[in-house]
Amino acid sequence: MKKLLFLLVPICATVQVTAQENDSIQSPEVLEIAVDTAVVPEKEGVRVYGGFESNAQWDLNDKGRNLPHPDDPIRSNNYYLINYQYKRWTAGLQLEAYMPNALLNYNPGFEGAGLGLAYLTYKTDKFEATAGYFYEQFGSGLLLRAWEDRALGINTAIRGGRMVYRPNDNVRLTALFGQQRSGFKVSNGRIYGFDSEFNLSSLFKFEVSDLSFGASYVGRYEKTDIPNPNFDELTNAFAGRFNFIHDAFYASAEYNYKQDDAVLDTQNHVDNNFVKPGSALLVNFGYSKQGLGIDATFRRMENMKFLSEREPTSTGDLVSTSLNFNDKVLNFTPSLTKQHHSNLANIYVYQAQAKVDYLGPGIMKGGETGGQIDVFYDFAKETAIGGKYGTKVALNFSSWYNLPGQYRLAPADYETKFFGVGTKYFSDYNIEIKKRLSDTWLTGIYYIHQYYNKLWLEGGEEVNADIVTAEASYNFTEATSIRLEAEHMWADADKKNWAGGTVEFNLNDHYSFYVWDIYNYGNDEELMQTHYYNVGGAYRKGATRIALNYGRQRGGLVCVGGVCRFVPESTGLSLSLSTAF
Amino acid sequence: MKTIVLLLFFSIAAFAQKEMPSVALKSDKNKSYNVKADFSEKDKLYVFSFWATWCVPCLQELDAINDNYAKWSKELNMEVVAVSIDDARTQKRVKPLLNGKKWPYTVLLDTNQDLKRALSVANVPYTIVVKNKKIVYIHNGYSQGAEKELYNKLKQL
Repeated sequence: MKKLLFLLVPICATVQVTAQENDSIQSPEVLEIAVDTAVVPEKEGVRVYGGFESNAQWDLNDKGRNLPHPDDPIRSNNYYLINYQYKRWTAGLQLEAYMPNALLNYNPGFEGAGLGLAYLTYKTDKFEATAGYFYEQFGSGLLLRAWEDRALGINTAIRGGRMVYRPNDNVRLTALFGQQRSGFKVSNGRIYGFDSEFNLSSLFKFEVSDLSFGASYVGRYEKTDIPNPNFDELTNAFAGRFNFIHDAFYASAEYNYKQDDAVLDTQNHVDNNFVKPGSALLVNFGYSKQGLGIDATFRRMENMKFLSEREPTSTGDLVSTSLNFNDKVLNFTPSLTKQHHSNLANIYVYQAQAKVDYLGPGIMKGGETGGQIDVFYDFAKETAIGGKYGTKVALNFSSWYNLPGQYRLAPADYETKFFGVGTKYFSDYNIEIKKRLSDTWLTGIYYIHQYYNKLWLEGGEEVNADIVTAEASYNFTEATSIRLEAEHMWADADKKNWAGGTVEFNLNDHYSFYVWDIYNYGNDEELMQTHYYNVGGAYRKGATRIALNYGRQRGGLVCVGGVCRFVPESTGLSLSLSTAF
Repeated sequence: MKTIVLLLFFSIAAFAQKEMPSVALKSDKNKSYNVKADFSEKDKLYVFSFWATWCVPCLQELDAINDNYAKWSKELNMEVVAVSIDDARTQKRVKPLLNGKKWPYTVLLDTNQDLKRALSVANVPYTIVVKNKKIVYIHNGYSQGAEKELYNKLKQL
């Protein structure tokens, strides 16, 4: 891998220097190299673009929490992406370095340094072909989504080939094959995909309406060692969808079906006697006109964990598997709840339950069903409630449940009903009001009620929590401002009550500083009544951002963006840098 | 050693020219736009603002620009294009949120994050100003009042 890296250096340097010719400031020396190594005529214009991102941490001891100094305190994740576009060709590569180790509790497959991705694309107006690694999503991603999220340590790009054909504005066809990336390797399953999308608006000569349809297929082929398997080695999955817009009204729906396949048992091993099909239905509709928006989404998922390898790999710590890192996961099943920005509203975070999951005799899950409703309303300026500057209100309700039906532990089986709900997993009812009081004062208040069935979701107690947050920002000058936020959570179980506060100071458009603390003062165990304080700052200029933070991170099961990990308590310094060119 | 290699790459590439990439995105009204070809009126300033429904500073920035939008677009030949990077989790909230907020912007949906990747946008809010298909100004982050700085910058471009 090292050799490969060095081989790439001259190639990159060559094209980059060539690209420089379009810029005016250059030393004669550089120009000389450019002339020597130029592979394309001067005015052809190679577009070079990419970025660099580094997230590093330095874990320290913390006497207040009895945390010793760790053996390997320094960790960092680094990404360097560079792309070259020349006429219809684009090529790119991403180098990744996890040195000396990846950030705490990231996918252990990310180890050392190497070539993360490389690709070559040829693109015309109608046709596009890619060889190498690519990202893709069919429909809403319930069957296939290959994506990257560096903050979460996810990269599920597919390595193989993809062709996209757009004969006109109304048709788009995509075909792909390959294997999914896992760490610096690829997973065993072979993935075949086809997606189509047709827009019928011009066919029907719609003026104010828009109607489109789509259909997709995803197949995963993986050999199995199990003698006489009760399932096919090729698992087929199909989906159909439509999207309709008429003036201020819109509606869309998507249905996904996954052929019967072995379900994972409690130890995450393939169970040859527990073979079930999967399905997912997503329905969305809403009404949206100036000043008012209403949206409703419903989703029912049954046995819809779709992996590029049937059996998750254990990471060796007896707690985590590749599932905990969203590794070797083919589809995307995000929780449809509001993403809060308050610190305390992110303690009990719901994660979608797509998987058949038997935790014990009383807790057997077949998937999830439920919905979310959003209302946005803007009280106009110069009205009684709107006042001089207007008032913005947002309401959000979501509730999620197990699928209703009959479940049996041994031998494992279930029979679900399509309509109705089973045991409640989670609900979140919240209201947000934002109001500008004057040119210098902007205020906001939030109330959130959450129900979190910790017993069913991760083991523990059921929790009812009420969170109130108030925030105010004040501008000293045009560019200098301060933001204050106070929050409190009343919880009837688990870690009980919390209080928190944030002060953020923006010196100007380049420098900002913050300090925040959340305090678990209500914890029944006195030793656990911890302050989780954090202090930091950021510098921003152009495309570059550098941020530094020192503070205490909460431990336990921490869920962010669809990934739940068991995170040890830690205290330390973190530095992140990102830039683009 | 590898760090040095990385740094080398980074420093050389920093001078590369900045042309808008050619990426096709759907709007909230399901119309297709090419971010290079369809925003190319001569000498017009296109402000591409990357945002997400869950990003509070993004919403503040776009609200703040909206409060001044009538004045700005009267004084300058400019247009704001709001590029949502919401994925399937939050994308359904884009449309109702838009009209709840009365934004007059063209809204593009970068669901597969093609444009975000092409421009190496690490965090939102992230703003680029495009003039004659070239990226002439980049700014990341938003702090209250920063829209005035953006406006001052636009006047110079």
